[in-house]
This record gives sequence, structure tokens and C-alpha cells, in this order.
Amino acid sequence: MGEEYKHSVILKEDRCIGCTSCLKVCPTEAIRVREGKAKIIPERCIDCGECIKICPNHAKSAITDDLSMIKKFKYTIAIPSLTIYGQFPSNISICEMLNAIKKIGFDEVVEDTVGADISIHLIKEYLLKKSDMNLPLINSSCPAVIRLIQMRFPDLIPNIIDIETPLEITARIAKKEASRRENIKIEDIGVFFITPCTARVTSIRKPIGISKSYVDGAFSMKEIYGEIVRNLGDCNSSNMGTSTKESLYWPIAGGQAAALGIENYLAVDGIHDVIRVLEEVELGKLEDVDFIECSACSGGCVGGPLVIQNSFIAKNRIMKYARKMKETKHTIEELDSFIKMYESGLIRLTEKIEPKSVMTLDKDIVKSIQKMELVTEILKSLPGLDCGVCGSPTCRAFAEDIVKGENCKAVCIVKTMNGFKNKNK
Amino acid sequence: MGNIAYDFQIEKDDFERAGEASSKIKKILRQLGIDSGIIRRVAIAAYEVEINLVIHSLGGTISISIDPKSIMIIAKDIGPGIENVELAMKEGYSTASDKIREMGFGAGMGLPNMKKCADSFYIESIIGKGTIITMKMMLKDGE
Ligand SMILES: Nc1ncnc2c1ncn2[C@@H]1O[C@H](COP(=O)(O)OP(=O)(O)OP(=O)(O)O)[C@@H](O)[C@H]1O
Ligand code: SF4
Ligand code: SF4
Ligand SMILES: [Mg+2]
Repeated sequence: MGEEYKHSVILKEDRCIGCTSCLKVCPTEAIRVREGKAKIIPERCIDCGECIKICPNHAKSAITDDLSMIKKFKYTIAIPSLTIYGQFPSNISICEMLNAIKKIGFDEVVEDTVGADISIHLIKEYLLKKSDMNLPLINSSCPAVIRLIQMRFPDLIPNIIDIETPLEITARIAKKEASRRENIKIEDIGVFFITPCTARVTSIRKPIGISKSYVDGAFSMKEIYGEIVRNLGDCNSSNMGTSTKESLYWPIAGGQAAALGIENYLAVDGIHDVIRVLEEVELGKLEDVDFIECSACSGGCVGGPLVIQNSFIAKNRIMKYARKMKETKHTIEELDSFIKMYESGLIRLTEKIEPKSVMTLDKDIVKSIQKMELVTEILKSLPGLDCGVCGSPTCRAFAEDIVKGENCKAVCIVKTMNGFKNKNK
Repeated sequence: MGNIAYDFQIEKDDFERAGEASSKIKKILRQLGIDSGIIRRVAIAAYEVEINLVIHSLGGTISISIDPKSIMIIAKDIGPGIENVELAMKEGYSTASDKIREMGFGAGMGLPNMKKCADSFYIESIIGKGTIITMKMMLKDGE
């Protein structure tokens, strides 16, 4: 705490009625309801957006950037998430969508394909063939999953593929090229992501594995969708629509493994299933698997909290485009240049991904054993219904909160009621 | 004093829940702030012993107790016991059926792995009565 709030999921207090719907879905038990309002414990939040998706009162929302931000830069580039191709009816061409985005006020639109394609080929032709990798390799492109691993599965950090996300790779290349071509300074170029999720927004503000993001801001796909729709209608730009078959697969659950042509893989989507599978990996049960693709969202990024279309429709539409495309082949020279970019650190995670011990009861082991004893003692007197009415997600969390001194006022209603009944017998 | 203990019941042939006890143990250790290398060793040993109880025994209990200096795991079952303990401890020795092997168990590595993970390891088995395995892991001094 204390530090500047860098999360992208926030609560609109006036809308929250304290219904506890979000308590249960939060994969890291980061939410408490206190004094009738939900509160997020910042150290625990992984910005997965589950609470946004479930909240019936739309009280949870995403803080993304305001479009006016593009005025701060001399030259602006938009990178729409690959999920964008699934958000429009199939009679609208990719080129038309990209053009409509450009008209919002960007100097250039660069497809995320650029980074996805490099990433796919690097993993496929180079990293998967290296002998010193920790199997199963876990993809690094969903930041919510990476934060989950830092918090709940720190032993698996070495299994994370140390390559930057397609977005960061695209941003780097786009900035460099624009700077050279237009002869402007890198600082004067603004790169903006049109995002399907909150997790990525947080990664721009507080990146993992790199010291600074090359992306300058993020706009919620939901929020600027109307703007894009208004601009649809023509398609006269030459350098657009460069997507490859493989990169179109990328935002769909199972698509990364398909793009990589791996047979021995698991594709896991939905944060709770990701947890279940990572638990197995942590027990060493899946060392015979080469690659695990994990997406926090059901269906993959097309199921992100800030997209318009439901993931099934989006998937169908993207697959239609993908089927029309040929497989990509890179020359040895091109591959070599990708490998060089990786080996030199340009597109590699160069900062250590640190474990985060937010679940610990106390830094001192003697004290944490004492606290654990107390938790067990309190638990014995609780009904074990995990009803959430006390404001903690489970009876156990309730007991832990008491021991940590975090909820002096909350009471267990079930217990009180039972006590009341017994007295009146 | 300064110690905390948990018991887990393990049922024979309960494949569905196999691994649950070791998962819970791991969560507890993490909450206690135990060093992650030690957690890993305890988790592997607990998992192997849990699976053995499910596959080879008639059922039993895994108990874990943690104090600031060490972690102790005791697995106790109600039979059938191991005929030749020395042989069972050999890498690659297994009496698992083909069916069990198809499920990915039965490499004969469980007991040797437990021994590797623990700082001290005792096994005692009486045919017709049961098996007791006691494992101890030391926590880093000063912790
Ligand atoms: N609790 C037990 N009760 C009875 N027999 C056991 C018990 N634990 C182990 N054994 C016997 O010891 C053998 C070796 O055990 P070990 O755990 O090393 O290998 P495994 O269980 O057969 O295979 P793996 O552990 O690699 O899946 C087993 O095949 C079984 O015959
Ligand atoms: S964004 Fe995810 S981790 Fe954060 S509070 Fe919501 S559900 Fe929990
Ligand atoms: S799966 Fe994709 S959309 Fe969902 S949180 Fe991860 S990166 Fe974002
Ligand atoms: Mg075994």
C-alpha cells in the first residue's frame, strides 16, 4: 500500500450494494465487503477482471486512458488487440476496421500481428528446441496469469517463457520504425493499445519482466467501439491487413498451441481452471507436457472483460478470416533476426519475475505459526458455510482476517443466529 | 508449544481426491511463510506418500506438524503392509498393476523420491498390520 494505485480495476462505490457476488469469483481472495461496500486489497489483485464480469450492478470498472491523451504526442500509433477482428460482422473487412480506427485520430495503425508473428516463430523454431528449458513451458502473454503465478505458484516462475508479449514487441518495432521513417524522436511518439482487458492496462503501468513498457496508454475496446463503428465505411489504405493465419489464432483459447504446431500441449482458459492445472504442474505431474497455454479469460482473449462480442461469436468470425489465409513461412535470415532480437534482450524479459508472498500470515515463522493456531481455533467455531455474508470470501478467510486484525467489526451472522436459537430453547 | 498440526484421512482407491491433502499442506506452508525450496520438497514427499496410500494401502492418515525448526510428516496406514521394504525402496521397483501404470503411476520412484526430499526418513512395515513412514525436513536455521 502507500504506493500509487496502479491497478486498472476499481470500484464505483455509489453503485456497489455489497451483494458479495464478486467475493467468490476473485481467484486471489482480494475482495472484502466492509461497511456494505466491496473493497479490493491492492497487493492481492491480479487485475483479471473476473469481478467486473460478474458484478450485476456494474460497480466494478476499468480505469483506462482517455482518448484526449493522444494529443500529448507529435505522432501517434494505435495497436488494436487481435481480438478486434472478432468484434464486427464478417462483411466488414479487416482493412476497413483498421481504417476506421485510424480515423479516430491516429497517424498510423499497426497490427499486433507483428509481435505475435515474431513471438510464435521464436517459440516454435528456437525456444521449444532448446534443451535447457523447464518443461512444461508456460506462455507469458496473459499478464493476469503471470501475476497469479507470482502470488500462488512461485515455483513455476522458471517455466514462464521469457519472451515479451506480442504487444510489447509490436510497440517496440512500431516506435523504432516510425522514428526512423518520420524522423522524429522516440519520446514524441505515442503508442496506444486498444485493449480487451484490464490485466494488460496494468501491465503498461506496472510491467512484469521489463523495466518500462513501450506502450504509452490503453483505451478500452468497449469504450471506443462506438467511435470505430461511426468511422467504418472505406478502405483505401495500402499498408493494412497484414495479419497472418497464426497470429489470428493467438487470441483464441487453444490458438497459441495451434499456431505453434505443438501436439503435446494443454490449452487452459478461465482463471479458475488455470489454477487447477497449475496446481497439478506444481506437483510435478505434468513434466511430460511441452507447453501450457494459459488464459485468464474463458475462451482466451476474445473472452476479455472489455470486449463487445461474446467469445463464441468473436471466435467464429476470427476463424473465418484465418481460414482464408496461408500459413506463414519465414526465411532463415528472418528467423535469425528474430533470434538476435531475443538474444540481445530487445524482446526478452530481462527483469526477474519476483515471487510475491502476499498470502503469508506473518514474516516471522514463530508468529505465523501462532497466528495459524489461532486461525484453526477460530475456524472450529465457525459454521463452514462460506456464505460470504461476513464480508470475507470464506470462513477461513474470515478467521485469517480476524487474526491479521483486518476486520474488527465484521460478525458471523450464522453463528450469532445459532447462538440466539440455542438461548431460546 | 509453538507447533501446529494437521491430519488428513486418505481413502483407498480414492483417485478423485488423490493429491488434495498434499495441495492443502502446500497452501498451509506457504501461508506460514516457509522457504519455497522446502515447500517444494515437502509437497513432493507428501504427494508421493498420499498416492501410495491411495494405490497400495487399505487407507490411512497423513499427519503433518510444523514447528519453527522443522516439519514432520507421518503417514500411517491400516495395511496390507510391505513384504520386503528394502526391495520397495529400490528405484524402479513397483508392484503396480498395468492399469495403474497406464494412469501414469507405478514407476517405482515414490519411496526413493520421498527419501531424497526428506532430511530424515524412516519406514516401518508389518504385514497384515500396516506401514508407517516418518519424514522430517529441517527449516533453515535462524528462520
Ligand atoms: N503404503 C503402502 N502399503 C503397501 N505397499 C506399499 C505402500 N507404499 C509402497 N508400497 C509398495 O512399495 C512399492 C514401491 O513404492 P513406490 O512409491 O516407490 O513406487 P510405486 O508407487 O509403485 O510407483 P510410483 O510411486 O513411481 O508411482 C509399491 O509398488 C508397493 O508395492
Ligand atoms: S480483478 Fe480479479 S484479482 Fe482483482 S479484485 Fe477483481 S477478481 Fe480479484
Ligand atoms: S486472457 Fe487475454 S484478455 Fe484475458 S486477461 Fe489474459 S491477456 Fe487479458
Ligand atoms: Mg508410489
